[in-house]
Amino acid sequence: MSDVQRRKYSQEERSTIFDGEFMPHIDSMYNFAFRLTFDEDDAKDLVQDTYMKAFRFINSFEQGTNAKAWLFRILKNSFINDYRKKSKKPATVDYQEVETFYNSDDADYQRTSDLRAESVRDMLGDEISNALNALAVDFRTVIILADLEGFTYEEMAKILDIPIGTVRSRLHRARNLLKDTLKGYAQSMGYATDEEED
Amino acid sequence: MPQTKRRTKQVVMENKEESSPERKLQCNDVSKCFQLLERILDGELVEGGNEMLQEKLDKCQPCFAHFHLEQAIREVLKTKCTKQPVPDKLAESIRQMIQDAR
Repeated sequence: MSDVQRRKYSQEERSTIFDGEFMPHIDSMYNFAFRLTFDEDDAKDLVQDTYMKAFRFINSFEQGTNAKAWLFRILKNSFINDYRKKSKKPATVDYQEVETFYNSDDADYQRTSDLRAESVRDMLGDEISNALNALAVDFRTVIILADLEGFTYEEMAKILDIPIGTVRSRLHRARNLLKDTLKGYAQSMGYATDEEED
Repeated sequence: MPQTKRRTKQVVMENKEESSPERKLQCNDVSKCFQLLERILDGELVEGGNEMLQEKLDKCQPCFAHFHLEQAIREVLKTKCTKQPVPDKLAESIRQMIQDAR
């Protein structure tokens, strides 16, 4: 369990862990990478790099612990260190700023209170996907981890190296921003909302 | 966590009616209630959460609507944003890279 007991894995054990615990997550890893980079080649490179790193540092993985969370953490760090820098896209909005801007919960709820569950369910995959992709990367990331991949707040805190309280508030803000976008779609599609004009 | 989510679903199944005369139309503490509902939906069940949830869904229309909206959003994200097709040879090329690295 502890670092003291940790030993080096034999070649056979490494293969077992890699094939049995790491490779099964390739679909989720690719989906995450694609939603971070928006580019098939970059996503492919990012996943490959992540698996290479996972293999190189396999001795720091404790067998029986959450391999998926461990891999996602490596992927997220690789993205920040390697890809975000060279990306030609403009820098994303500093989320601190956004968090302050959207700090009024009651106002948030009033803004989106007329968005209805049924209109969300009727939306097309592309619309949902575009709404998610439109979020700044820090907000997009927490939604991906929580809703697409089902990580707990505690796992997310470890993957992102932030306190659980920050996970909770960032996720909350991310959802409000997402609802804003969805509400815009719902209105343009002519779904009944309070603001609809006839 | 999956167990919690399953239990949450059960509670909701019994509350399908869109509106109910039992429910009040104003929520006195929107941000606190909604954040609690969101945590329950995320599987981060607080102590006594199921009872609280049941109570809110039964008695408060804004909480009821918010819960179902949040639930719908989680559902569509999960079902519509996870199907990015993985390039055919990705797994193979990773295995090859590992082989070469050995």
